[in-house]
Amino acid sequence: MVNFTVEEVRALMDKATNVRNMSVIAHVDHGKSTLTDSLLSKAGIISAAKAGDARATDTRADEQERGITIKSTAISLYGNLPDDEDLKDIVGQKTDGRDFLINLIDSPGHVDFSSEVTAALRVTDGALVVVDTIEGVCVQTETVLRQALGERIKPVVIINKVDRALLELQVSKEDLYQSFSRTIESVNVVISTYFDKTLGDVQVYPYKGTVAFGSGLHGWAFTVRQFAQRYAKKFGVDRNKMMERLWGDNYFNPHTKKWTNKGTHEGKPLERAFNQFILDPIFRIFAAVMNFKKDEIPTLLEKLNIKLAPEDREKEGKQLLKVIMRTFLPAADALLEMLILHLPSPVTAQRYRAETLYEGPPDDEACIGIRECDPKAPLMLYVSKMVPTSDKGRFYAFGRVFAGTVRSGLKVRIQGPNYTPGKKDDLFIKAIQRTVLMMGGKVDPIDDVPAGNILGLVGIDQFLLKSGTLTTSETAHNLKVMKFSVSPVVQRSVEVKNAQDLPKLVEGLKRLSKSDPCVLTFISESGEHVVAGAGELHLEICLKDLEEDHAGVPLRISDPVVSYRETVTGKSSMTALSKSPNKHNRLYMVAEPLDEEVSKEIEAGKIGPRDDFKARARILADEHGWDVTDARKIWCFGPDTNGANLLVDQTKAVQYLNEIKDSVVSGFQWATREGPIAEEPMRSIRFNILDVTLHADAIHRGGGQVIPTARRVLYAATLLAEPGLLEPVFLVEIQVPENAMGGVYGVLTRRRGHVFNEEQRPGTPLFTIKAYLPVMESFGFNADLRSHTSGQAFPQSVFDHWQILPGGSPIDGTSKVGQVVQEMRKRKGLKVEVPGYENYYDKL
Amino acid sequence: MTTQSVAPPVLSTPETHIFEDPTPVANTQNEPRLSYDEVFDIYEVARTAREIHTGGWRKVALQFPDDMLRDSPVVFEALEQELKKLSSGGTKVRVEEKLEQNLTNLTSADAQSLDRSQERHRLYVLADTSYGACCVDEIAAEHVDAEVVVHYGRSCLSPTARLPVIYVFTSRTLDLDPVVSVFENTYPEKQEKVILVADIMYHNHIEPVAKRLQEAGYKNILAPDIVHDPSSLIPNRKIDIGEAEMKDYSLFHISEPLPALLLTLSSRVRDFNIYPTTPSSSPQKALQSNTAMSLRRRYALLTSLSTCSIFGILINTLSVKNYLQTVTDIKEMIERAGKKSYTFVVGKVNAAKIANFSEIGGWVVIGCWESSLIESTEFYRPIITPFELGLCLLPDEKRVWSGEWKGDFNSLDAVSLEGRETENGAVGDVEEQKETGEDLDSEEESAPPEFDLRTGRYVSHSRPMRDSPSALSAAANKEGEGSSAASKVLTRRAKGDLALVNGAVSPGAQYLNTQRTWMGLGSDFHETEGSAAVEEGRSGVARGYRVGEAGEGEKR
Repeated sequence: MVNFTVEEVRALMDKATNVRNMSVIAHVDHGKSTLTDSLLSKAGIISAAKAGDARATDTRADEQERGITIKSTAISLYGNLPDDEDLKDIVGQKTDGRDFLINLIDSPGHVDFSSEVTAALRVTDGALVVVDTIEGVCVQTETVLRQALGERIKPVVIINKVDRALLELQVSKEDLYQSFSRTIESVNVVISTYFDKTLGDVQVYPYKGTVAFGSGLHGWAFTVRQFAQRYAKKFGVDRNKMMERLWGDNYFNPHTKKWTNKGTHEGKPLERAFNQFILDPIFRIFAAVMNFKKDEIPTLLEKLNIKLAPEDREKEGKQLLKVIMRTFLPAADALLEMLILHLPSPVTAQRYRAETLYEGPPDDEACIGIRECDPKAPLMLYVSKMVPTSDKGRFYAFGRVFAGTVRSGLKVRIQGPNYTPGKKDDLFIKAIQRTVLMMGGKVDPIDDVPAGNILGLVGIDQFLLKSGTLTTSETAHNLKVMKFSVSPVVQRSVEVKNAQDLPKLVEGLKRLSKSDPCVLTFISESGEHVVAGAGELHLEICLKDLEEDHAGVPLRISDPVVSYRETVTGKSSMTALSKSPNKHNRLYMVAEPLDEEVSKEIEAGKIGPRDDFKARARILADEHGWDVTDARKIWCFGPDTNGANLLVDQTKAVQYLNEIKDSVVSGFQWATREGPIAEEPMRSIRFNILDVTLHADAIHRGGGQVIPTARRVLYAATLLAEPGLLEPVFLVEIQVPENAMGGVYGVLTRRRGHVFNEEQRPGTPLFTIKAYLPVMESFGFNADLRSHTSGQAFPQSVFDHWQILPGGSPIDGTSKVGQVVQEMRKRKGLKVEVPGYENYYDKL
Repeated sequence: MTTQSVAPPVLSTPETHIFEDPTPVANTQNEPRLSYDEVFDIYEVARTAREIHTGGWRKVALQFPDDMLRDSPVVFEALEQELKKLSSGGTKVRVEEKLEQNLTNLTSADAQSLDRSQERHRLYVLADTSYGACCVDEIAAEHVDAEVVVHYGRSCLSPTARLPVIYVFTSRTLDLDPVVSVFENTYPEKQEKVILVADIMYHNHIEPVAKRLQEAGYKNILAPDIVHDPSSLIPNRKIDIGEAEMKDYSLFHISEPLPALLLTLSSRVRDFNIYPTTPSSSPQKALQSNTAMSLRRRYALLTSLSTCSIFGILINTLSVKNYLQTVTDIKEMIERAGKKSYTFVVGKVNAAKIANFSEIGGWVVIGCWESSLIESTEFYRPIITPFELGLCLLPDEKRVWSGEWKGDFNSLDAVSLEGRETENGAVGDVEEQKETGEDLDSEEESAPPEFDLRTGRYVSHSRPMRDSPSALSAAANKEGEGSSAASKVLTRRAKGDLALVNGAVSPGAQYLNTQRTWMGLGSDFHETEGSAAVEEGRSGVARGYRVGEAGEGEKR
């Protein structure tokens, strides 16, 4: 039974110093959900026997079936420290009693679902990074760690699947130590790469207790601190000193009975303290149990002070091993201790996170409320994702209270991602119907929730598509919108088999769009309902949800297609000129490529239309070599006012220019949304307005004359500047044994892949291959790879960048690119040939 | 530094650029001119004269499309002669005529005093029609007080509101042999059910073709006659079979059909084969038309407007029957959906005129069934037909797109009625929500945003007129209650900062307030921009200037 009540949880919520919000993050299959189980079993949510197999946070049927986590799941746990002594080890933050509330979010590990991780990280302050002993730090470990650090989230590490190293690989103690040490080293390399001054040094060290070792499947884990505690009494030294001795080059010389940091004594090698004091008992248990040395077991147990239940004593082999280890070193104890001692409470974390969380000025009431984690301040709540309810079509808004207290019936301002203070766009006022506590697949009603806690809200799902800010302050700005590391670059279109089902499909698409932080659903210009996802697996899951759940009608699903971008590769060969329909106004423009770095920064939100134009000009001038005057005269970003295309005013002394700015900007948004080549959006183009001639009478230079002209001149400039087509490219990381590498290379080469890194994992026959693979070629890649390596290669693909589609000019219908373009135009019902620049260019 | 100025700066556009008509000019130069006899035949002068004579009309307007305008003098003369002949057959009245242009301002009411039979026939040529050449330009005809309009060329046959019309289709010649052979190639099976339709200008060939095909052994051929009913199953054709039955039929169309006809028919018949009559092509088999793509594009267009808050109603006809009623209906429809509409009359539609109103999110065009379909990517905002608007305003959970398409607004009633019902339902929902909301707190709650299908995002305030009336009425009630006491009290400004014009919510003004950066002269003048501080200059006379304070005394 659950060993805590909602009332207890509610009481703990008030003590924000005793709350730990944390997410479990890792590479796919490193054992996040399995480890989470042991915490749940400790809390009595699942039985100890099932822990490790149940994966209780995988609440969906397909998650259980496939054995992967798809959605992040939150659960609140009650934890306590056994001894008041332990409280002293909580450094740098206050606590209030030994009872703690742990809000845990289990996140998916597959790259395609990274957006779920992002949503989870936003509402937590700490992260438990799970790393596989054998596989080590993988691409997704690095990605999620980077994301965590970007959000100023403090990591602790558990090295999981130690049992495999012992049972399958039969490694020696020293090898295991070396492997641990290497893994920790590589985690620390990642951490120090993304060092953040405010967050401070958050590298992990076993001797500080921020690294645990264990096996989620068998339900055991330990930290150096736990062993230090055992031995501290025995040796009569201080625990903290003991901890330091139990890791690294520290040896206990049995002859001199002294500690040393030299590995040899009189020419004979000494055993490392970690191996001698920590690994040795574990190895012995393993050896005894797995070799069926029944007589040795009881003595061992007695020595280690392990008491087994009578029925467990009858067990044999792995079963017995599991029971012994679980009793000897319960995973939950080690984890809880590590989480409580080393992860920050909301009070601590919000102090340094406030400035990265809040868009507004650092000294307004909202920001101060967040920094202080003040339950009496105006409400600041961030909704990071939507969780489906049992009531079809309705969702819980899942989020975190950063300041103030939220209660049922409270009337709040709901600010969508496009809200700007003072305007009424994307702003709604609504009363919260109910607040609930998220408990895995279930929820528990709760009256109110103070700052620093994670919760679900009922009754506001209609107002937010995916995420947003809730507040009671009229002056509050938004909490920063999340940036995902994945983009929806793979598209499939769906249509109903029966026309009468269309409304259901439309409704289903709306729901699908809400239920996933990353997926995009829209209708293309050619009238197709398109679902866009991060990868093939992501799309597959989304479409399955759509067909079976959200829409519930039979669908026809097209083959996956890639969305392209139109760009230019050179500067316009001549100045493009277009005249307005009445011939009284002329616009002169040239197009040129925008630096890839600038485009990336725009897409990452580092350079944006909302920035102060002087600050933005400074960045562009200092970091990207722009002319300052140009940088200050950026008229707008596009498409959608925030895309990676720029319109720069380079005119000198043009009369009435301000008057037509709105019209030119409208034309620019229009043109960049649908480029001239195949009506795909433009990307990474900088347009310079060189000159403008306008009619003296306002009536002859109205929007009607200027908007279509601006579009025409932009098209002409693009077509004159060696246009190109950008295709999305995946970064693929493949783990493969040496003997299957040939197959991997074969498959990659056939699919225009390009390997740029190949590394052997030390101590294993496994190689890690990193390659760029065009998304277009990635359809069916996994299956292909599996068949060519007899299932030994495991790829992970994540969108990395855009690249020019090679094979000629898109304007030339005979080139390879030209064919792609013509195919696309045909699909969209356009005239097959790309119109020449003459269509948009007017002679002087 | 001075450069020699050779010419004054260009402050205006040179005159060569003025008054260029942006609409494409019909190119007829290279076609051979018709002889008098041909004109007499093609323009059916004898029949026209007869009908005018029997109708007893005296003032006749002759409406020519642009590409036939060059034949107008010949037709005019021939018709005049013919009419003279006919009337001289009855009474002996001297008739003299003078060639006059359509826009001559004629106020000759003196004719009324004369005996109508004695009155001479007055003919007027109407050119440069206000909207489409396919429609009867009643307004231009009324300028000359015409009693009847003779419409030449292809026509949409939309029923007119005011004047009787004589249609002259100016039939084209057609070689029947290739038509029959192409037909046989297209339908090898003799039992095939086929409907034979031709463009109006080729309609006179339908009967002989049908006859020859029947002789060739085709049994199930329908050759419908022309009726003036654009809302018929096949627009302007008389068809006896029902809609379900028609699905079994294939349609064989002589000459290229207009896109509107294609879209209308594509969902109603099994397939659609076209026999092109353009001179260059001589195919062996009829072209199969595929409208799925263009229908899908229409669907994309109309769904993209489902969250649009401001519609422009574009009047593209002044003659089609019921157009005023339709405008009123559509206004109501838009209003019921909580959106705002503005009505525009711009003459012939082109991209420049439409883009002048950037406040408008989407346009509904009210015109004849052929010209309502404006398909071009050149327009800044989408333009849809009233039928499509009906679908667009339906809530998402009601909208079904079966491929059915209508261009004619007179057949719209069914959809708009449906829209009315569902809209009422939707309003009911909102009210319900409001009630529940008011239980919790007296302050008004916002309506939820809508999902924009086109972009996949939420759009707020897509129904600006929905929340406002209640808000305004509530405000009015309050005023009514405490009018005596409240007169001195400052009223708090509305929260949403809705722009009001004469007390009515105006999304157009709202747009000006929020979206436009240019607000008129002077709005772009920023005082803060580094101008130098004013300093005291030199003063005095040339003999000795004084600078600054010292000069004070010298000041006048």
